[in-house]
Amino acid sequence: MQKEAEIRDPLILGNKTYHDITVDVARPVEGKANKYWWILFSLSLLLFIWGVLCIAYTIGTGIGAWGLNKTVNWAWDITNFVWWIGIGHAGTLISAVLLLFRQKWRMAINRSAEAMTIFGVVQAGLFPLIHMGRPWLAYWVLPIPNQFGSLWVNFNSPLLWDVFAISTYLSVSVVFWYIGLIPDFAMLRDRMSSTLSPMKKKLYAFLAFGWSGRAKHWQRFEEVSLVLAGLATPLVFSVHSIVSMDFATSVIPGWHTTIFPPYFVLGALFSGFAMVETLLIIMRKVVSLEAYITIKHVEYMNVIILLTGSLVGTAYITELFMAWYSGVEFEQYAFLNRATGPYWWAYAIMMTCNVLTPQLYWFRSIRTSFVATFILSIFVNIGMWFERFVIIVTSLHRDFLPTSWTMFSPTFIDIGIYLGTIGFFFTLFLMYARTFPVIAQAELKTILKSSGSEFKNKK
Amino acid sequence: MTKAKKYWKGLAEINNNPLVEKLKQNEFTEEIPVDEFLGDKEISATSTSRRDFLKFLGFSTAAATLAACEAPIIKSIPYVVKPDEIIPGIANYYATTMYDGHDYASVLVKNREGRPIKIDANKSAPNARVQASILSLYDSSRLKNPLINNTESDWNTADSQIISQLNKIKQQNGKIAILTSTVISPSTKKLIQNFTSFYKNVSHVEMDSISYDGMLEANHLAFGVRALPNYSFDKADVVVSFGADFLGNWLNCDYASDYTSNRNPESGEMSKHYQIESALSLSGSNADERIQIKPSEQSGLLTNLYNALSGSKADSRILKIVGDLLSSKGKSIVISNSNDVKVQTLVNAINDKLGNYENTITLTRPSYLKQGNDKDVATLIKDMNNGNISALFTHNVNPAYTLQDSVSFVKGLSKVSLKVSTSLYNDESASKMTYVLPDHHYLESWGDANPSHGEYTLMQPTIAPLFNSRQFQESLMVWIGTSDYHNYLQSFYKDIDWNKSVHDGYFTKNTKDLKVSSFKSKIESFNLSKNTQIEFEMYEKISMGDGNQSNNPWLQELPDPISRACWDNYLAMSAPTARKIGVTNWNVSNGALNGSLVNITVNNKTYKNVPVMIQPGQAVDTVSMAVGYGRESAGKCGNGIGFNAFTLGNGDAKIELLEGEYEFAATQLHHTMMGREIIKETTLADFIKDPQSGNHKETYSTHKGKQPADMVTLWDEHDHSTGHFWNMSIDLTSCLGCSSCVISCHAENNVPVVGKEEIRKSRDMHWLRIDRYFSSDMTKELSAKEKVSPIDMYSEMEEPSVNPEVAFQPVMCQHCNHAPCETVCPVAATSHSAEGLNHMAYNRCVGTRYCANNCPYKVRRFNWFQYSDNDKFDFNMNDDYGKMVLNPDVVVRSRGVIEKCSMCIQKIQKVKLDAKKSGKRVKDEDAQTACSSACPTNAIVFGDVNDDKHKVQALKKDPRAYKLLEHLNTDPSVFYQTKIRNKA
Repeated sequence: MQKEAEIRDPLILGNKTYHDITVDVARPVEGKANKYWWILFSLSLLLFIWGVLCIAYTIGTGIGAWGLNKTVNWAWDITNFVWWIGIGHAGTLISAVLLLFRQKWRMAINRSAEAMTIFGVVQAGLFPLIHMGRPWLAYWVLPIPNQFGSLWVNFNSPLLWDVFAISTYLSVSVVFWYIGLIPDFAMLRDRMSSTLSPMKKKLYAFLAFGWSGRAKHWQRFEEVSLVLAGLATPLVFSVHSIVSMDFATSVIPGWHTTIFPPYFVLGALFSGFAMVETLLIIMRKVVSLEAYITIKHVEYMNVIILLTGSLVGTAYITELFMAWYSGVEFEQYAFLNRATGPYWWAYAIMMTCNVLTPQLYWFRSIRTSFVATFILSIFVNIGMWFERFVIIVTSLHRDFLPTSWTMFSPTFIDIGIYLGTIGFFFTLFLMYARTFPVIAQAELKTILKSSGSEFKNKK
Repeated sequence: MTKAKKYWKGLAEINNNPLVEKLKQNEFTEEIPVDEFLGDKEISATSTSRRDFLKFLGFSTAAATLAACEAPIIKSIPYVVKPDEIIPGIANYYATTMYDGHDYASVLVKNREGRPIKIDANKSAPNARVQASILSLYDSSRLKNPLINNTESDWNTADSQIISQLNKIKQQNGKIAILTSTVISPSTKKLIQNFTSFYKNVSHVEMDSISYDGMLEANHLAFGVRALPNYSFDKADVVVSFGADFLGNWLNCDYASDYTSNRNPESGEMSKHYQIESALSLSGSNADERIQIKPSEQSGLLTNLYNALSGSKADSRILKIVGDLLSSKGKSIVISNSNDVKVQTLVNAINDKLGNYENTITLTRPSYLKQGNDKDVATLIKDMNNGNISALFTHNVNPAYTLQDSVSFVKGLSKVSLKVSTSLYNDESASKMTYVLPDHHYLESWGDANPSHGEYTLMQPTIAPLFNSRQFQESLMVWIGTSDYHNYLQSFYKDIDWNKSVHDGYFTKNTKDLKVSSFKSKIESFNLSKNTQIEFEMYEKISMGDGNQSNNPWLQELPDPISRACWDNYLAMSAPTARKIGVTNWNVSNGALNGSLVNITVNNKTYKNVPVMIQPGQAVDTVSMAVGYGRESAGKCGNGIGFNAFTLGNGDAKIELLEGEYEFAATQLHHTMMGREIIKETTLADFIKDPQSGNHKETYSTHKGKQPADMVTLWDEHDHSTGHFWNMSIDLTSCLGCSSCVISCHAENNVPVVGKEEIRKSRDMHWLRIDRYFSSDMTKELSAKEKVSPIDMYSEMEEPSVNPEVAFQPVMCQHCNHAPCETVCPVAATSHSAEGLNHMAYNRCVGTRYCANNCPYKVRRFNWFQYSDNDKFDFNMNDDYGKMVLNPDVVVRSRGVIEKCSMCIQKIQKVKLDAKKSGKRVKDEDAQTACSSACPTNAIVFGDVNDDKHKVQALKKDPRAYKLLEHLNTDPSVFYQTKIRNKA
């Protein structure tokens, strides 16, 4: 049993008992979906189908369906890729890093944050595939022993590092997530009636992996969690560092900067937490988890957002300083052009949403308001999308030789695919919310006696 | 004898027990329970045995496999009787002559398996249009059969009808006119004479789409020779051109090589070139000093110059010119683009006064390329309208399109009873004729040419006629009852070694100088014009010429070297004039250029909704528009593009701003160097003092002290000490921006055409582009002096000067030895060769485009769509005829892969294999790329730097040599030579 300082605010509100927690977590799975769920799900599915059609059109006709050109060869595709990968960062940080740091408040949100991570990485993984001119040959980027001749992948290429980084991250995240889910699946299995819903019971029995709640099971569970947390923690830093190397190792002014790895990781955490907030603030209402996802959780996350946002802002300013300090005219022009060139508005949106508005979290009233947090989290999501857009498009569109300078404008296919991935993401998340235990209830129960309001109030 | 040993398994065997034999026959002592293990008794009841089943299985598997493996069917028909000279895979070269009534060139045609696929230089360097004419051969819009009243017919019907009508006209003594372009073929001239003597009342009228009648008449008046002089720009120390674009299209002569041969900074000798013009021409952009005037000021300035040469006061603008001309008498050239006899007489007088005749300008060995006579044409049209012409034959001309007053030509046509056109296309003029007879393309024809005095070139067919066509000369012979032009031509030149001349493509004959009388003519003097109107002038684009090849997609997509726009013509206007009228140009969200629309009225002819492009270098209060556009019957590529500037003619313009916008397709959207050292340049005087001037190497401070940028490296160097190391030198001083290399590259490497919409999306596919930079009024020095903020400085730098200095820079893949593209490709589709080349394996490319992003030169091109066999890209690669031009040595790229300049790897490979077969080292000049062989000025030199004898080795060590974006240390195999301007 963990001991916790008395003066800390309770993490579980509403005088919950162990059984209450079980019932609350199982309710969305066992009950019927409400109207809002169906509306959101239909909308997401529609977007998803639209995205699939746009992807099919692209693969059918060629990448020319997008707005790219000879100078700007990446734009929304890689912007979306990095954005989704970034979003996928908070999950692992919450479940792995915060586990190692014994942050108890993570327990209410880690399940959903991890789900978000996995669904985000799925969206992200889509883009490197479909942005290829010949996606049917995508398997060539894997080092598969082959009979094509002496063909092998190019280990110098950061894109190849991406392949390894993302696939590793995805697989570790999935395993970590699944291990955590086992006791909760077992809980659902045990609650299922074998006569009313035999199929469901069988399914959850299968997923529960024979969990019986024996002490030995718990011991192994704890050990595996710790080991996986240890494995996943470096991944939080490596994945986005490697993604940043797509840019950092190139020669393009605005890309070629050594600050990118930490800057990208911080940005990823920043955007990841914002997305967790966006999702959870909706979810706590839709599936009635107000007692578990409290303003305290949101405040903690807002503090992280304030910190990472400020650090990202520092990185932006460092970039500007380095451009000036380097004395390289190409570098200087690249940053001058970012701020004052034809894409100044994108830079302004980025600066406003990522650096300025998170500063509002210095105010306690804002940091502890669900409404303000929800709005600001959307701001961060937008700002971080524009950060990637600014980095990719404004660096490329005016590089070394002015004769090749041009601009980029998205087509409806570009927009369709982006919206499609948002649809896909929410489709997955909504299906998850109805079939998975959305809170790690087994873990959460461990802090009911130290951090539940019933026990705090008793003292 | 010993008995063989006997082995036995038991006593029973040795005793020959019958049970042993029985057991031997029966392998299994107990019965095998077969029924049990097959389980079901019914199985044995089926008629299919196990063996049959396996047969069926095997057969159906094999059949299914075979059916699934259907390979695309490629129809290739072997030669039944192989022609002796054709070996599949080996190219044949034929010398011939290109002449289409506008352009002339002596060329070498590369033939593969009976198909001409590439045009190279023979005697004169072919320009972009000549290079591209190979594609016009395979134009499926060409006439395929004779047309009578616009219905397809056959030659016999057409001939019999024409002959019977001709005989009728002959009996009635009706007038017959033959309207042709300038005829430079002596045999054709003779045939026309034969035709004339057969049908009596025949007049032959020659016309040029761009008339040089004023010059011809002036020479006739002054020297008694109705011909154009030949200019020796290699001997001229001072060149003063009043609007004549002699490096571009003026006279359609190849003056570029002569011009650059006298611009050698190394020798310290560089001609001084002044260009006084209104529209920025190719010559103007290469001039050392360019003076902007209105077209109407030309005559006055020439008068002023003429008088100043005798000591009177010169106009301040030409003060320096007068001094330079006077100090290099007999070593200068003054030319003008005017078509006014009086102005040209004045020019002749100036040249005569400077003693240039028979030094730099010769009329004793004149050029015959342009002989059109405006007066004759006017008389013909008048006669036609008066009903005096009974028969009109046209050849190689399109008067309904190229004449300013085409309306009266068309009107007159209705009064002619027999109208016959021999033409490649059913064009604007041909379509109004009764008989439209398909002519041979020059690559299908026999012929001769006498481009200038004493010089002859021959034309020979390089392919059997693609369509049911017949050449004009043959038709003339058929109509007078004779036949076979080939024999006729051969007997016409009895006195030459025919086989050698056909092989060489040229010969000399009658080389004695012409007798020319000395200059005597009345000189009229002009007052300097004070015209305040906006003046309109038409000009020729490098790509389109007079528009006779406007159905050629290569030429339509060739960016204009000055404006860098393609697929269009437009009104070019200077920025101050545009401001005055309210015209603007702007970039839309994807960067593409849009412009305002105006109505323009010149000589009472109005065009509505004409787009305006703001063109730096265009003189204030003047506008210009290219001819060659506005075609109506050119074919699917050329129709309906732009406006026909011929019908406007030069003169004062009324311009009226309209609402609305126009979408341009330009391959370059930014025009200045933004203060970067992209084109390094210096002046001749500085260069003589310091050969390194303008090219001081960038250094980095390291722990070892200051090091040149290319020495500071993290890379392992490729070992290029042995074997070939292919390098390319591009001299920016002699690159004139003529774009011949771009088309040559197109033809050699099967570069796709993508069309206007895609160009507008900045998706041009050119492997080789010619970047064009304008100078800007704002410089770094100025901003430092006047303390301008960087933001203002850069935004002002984007604006080119009103009269900018221009520089051209051909940029192709730089073949970096530390290539940024090579490291980033995840599948290693692009890699480095041991010979210093950057290879691209198309079939390995998965299309991530990372390489294109990471290329600092932006030379990599992505196949955004399938550009061949795609109806959305209905150009030559979607056409069975058009595809015949493809080079079989170069693969046609599929969609989704990156492509780029390969340094013509197929040509290098050929040279290496040939050398290997002959057991010798690759020779000096053998290895050429398409661009280096096309360059008329030898600005592009390609070769092996490890070859001590090769020029490129010395060029690499030249103090002028520099690498583009040297500070990146990409260590390209392509390097540039500093641009030297002969200015103060």
